[in-house]
Amino acid sequence: MKRVNTLVWGLLIAFGAFIVHQSLGHSYYGSDFGPGPGFFSFWLGILLIVLSVIQLVTTYRRPAEPLPDGFIPSREGMRRILSIMGALAASLAVMNFLGFALTMTAFCIFLLRSLGRQPWWQTLILSALAGFGMAYLFGLLQVMLPKGFLGFI
Amino acid sequence: MEAFHHLMTGFVTAVSPMNLLFAAIGCVLGTLIGVLPGLGPAAGTALLVPLTFRLDPTAAIIMLAAIYYGAMYGGTITSVLINVPGEAASVVTCLDGYEMAKQGRAGAALGVAAIGSFIGGTVATFGLVLVALPLTRFALKFGPAEYFSLLLVGLSLVMGLAGKSLAKALVMGVLGLIFSFVGVDPVEGAPRFTFGIAPLMDGIRFVPVVMGFFGIGEILINAEKSLVGVIADGGKVASFFPRRDEWRISVTSILRGTGLGFFLGLIPGTNSAVASFMSYAIERKLSNHPDKFGAGVIEGVAAPETANNAYANAALIPLFTLGLPGSPTGAILMGALIMNGLTPGPLLFSQHATFVWAVIASLYIGNVILLVLNLPLVGWWAKLLKIPYNILMVFILVFCIIGAYSLNNSLFDVGMMIVCGLLGYFFKKLDFPLAPAILTLILGPLMERSLREALSMSQGDYTIFFTRPISLFFLVLAAVILATSAWQAWPSAIREESKEAQV
Repeated sequence: MKRVNTLVWGLLIAFGAFIVHQSLGHSYYGSDFGPGPGFFSFWLGILLIVLSVIQLVTTYRRPAEPLPDGFIPSREGMRRILSIMGALAASLAVMNFLGFALTMTAFCIFLLRSLGRQPWWQTLILSALAGFGMAYLFGLLQVMLPKGFLGFI
Repeated sequence: MEAFHHLMTGFVTAVSPMNLLFAAIGCVLGTLIGVLPGLGPAAGTALLVPLTFRLDPTAAIIMLAAIYYGAMYGGTITSVLINVPGEAASVVTCLDGYEMAKQGRAGAALGVAAIGSFIGGTVATFGLVLVALPLTRFALKFGPAEYFSLLLVGLSLVMGLAGKSLAKALVMGVLGLIFSFVGVDPVEGAPRFTFGIAPLMDGIRFVPVVMGFFGIGEILINAEKSLVGVIADGGKVASFFPRRDEWRISVTSILRGTGLGFFLGLIPGTNSAVASFMSYAIERKLSNHPDKFGAGVIEGVAAPETANNAYANAALIPLFTLGLPGSPTGAILMGALIMNGLTPGPLLFSQHATFVWAVIASLYIGNVILLVLNLPLVGWWAKLLKIPYNILMVFILVFCIIGAYSLNNSLFDVGMMIVCGLLGYFFKKLDFPLAPAILTLILGPLMERSLREALSMSQGDYTIFFTRPISLFFLVLAAVILATSAWQAWPSAIREESKEAQV
């Protein structure tokens, strides 16, 4: 756990330093008597660094702890997480081009097949419902969803 | 009397057919969110915020409030029938509720939970009516300095009570504040932390962040585990009423649960799970037969269920009167109010009286709708759980994408939600509480504005926060809360350290 904690608090220290650096680019005190846009964020960056340094020091002062049970996902769990994140990222990349209905249909086909054991006919019906059905339903609710190159709903 | 006059006017608006319809839709959707595992009230409410964009503000908030307390009741059904709590506040209901179901008394457990929830919710709403105007009048005396100090009290409560580690809660609060600064500076109009990315000029919206943290993050956590075998068979539901000998004990438990839930609802930073766990513990302590708790006693269901609904309604008091949300779901309601051009706080009651009293009146109506709707439909709700979780998960993801996109018709918000989902997953793995980040993300701009306005008023003199008595009182209170939390955390950390050293 020590290595994980070092990484997390180290990242937070770096992020705090980045915020402080960015805040210095804005005026600390504004044109009137009140503080400027960089004031609050500067001190929050400092606070983040101080808190993280204290935690980092505490991590090293305490005896080593083992990783909690289930902290690192199983191979199967990791595959499912990567499938979901990959499908989300891919749908984001192609949504404007393919449109909502087609993208979501493909998204659901992929995830239903990779996360479960539904038969193909069920997968196709559910995916069409999630893609075309939702696009139609939200169209009725006047929610504009990307139409894509085919001009689909 | 003035409050009751306003309330009657509120009822006139709330019982209009459209508002009644939206309250009913909200109750159904809320119950659905509560029933479905892996979708807590915060993510569920955030998910449904975009549905309310086309509605007028009164109907929108009536529906969101109904979703909020509907979710509280929905969680009970699955706890009792299949021992799967839909949300954290219902975990304790499993202990006796599921045991009662195994003894063929699921109906009585659900019935007493519904009656208790109704009484708790109604009494808490009555409390809201009583204290709203006096509290609002008091809050109208607040200037920017007092408001800033009050927000500090709210945040210190949230951080002090969230999670196991005060440092982690503070870090999350700070991160939320930093993210809230992205966009155009509210006082001088200068862009901050936008890195030339145009959509960031509008700031980071809370809906994609909440959906990412609580929706996608939760799904990723669940995806780690096996997705089969989550669903069990629902029990049979017979009579909805307790036995004759159980009425007396049920009534006293409901009354105690109401008092406790109401009191905890007034304190930002507590949550409905604290209310239900605490009321269960109190009932057990006061009981003549504490050993029977966990084996299916009715007060083990009545008290916590009452407490969590009383809590949900009472938590609207600090939100509406002071603009202080106590939980992520409260913060989402606050965000939805702001999106509708209504800033919660004392001015809400003077500037938008028709709106706010209509929403309060709808809380009474919503509690009746929940009672009428839930008991006869219990069997249907339980059937929903037979849907395999992997299918449910995929549909929740599709809803999240629609919800984030429809906010601003922008894929940027979808991307933001995905990134926050990943962050939420890691934060949960590392035990960082998410609630402080959500609250500070929403309260950040208000905090910064009041701080800077106060300092402008005092011409840069920081003593303005200490020389005004109400502000000083709030600052001392915030310091005491943080010091108490740190003090409580300190000995346990040392104990843990010495124990580990011995091992």
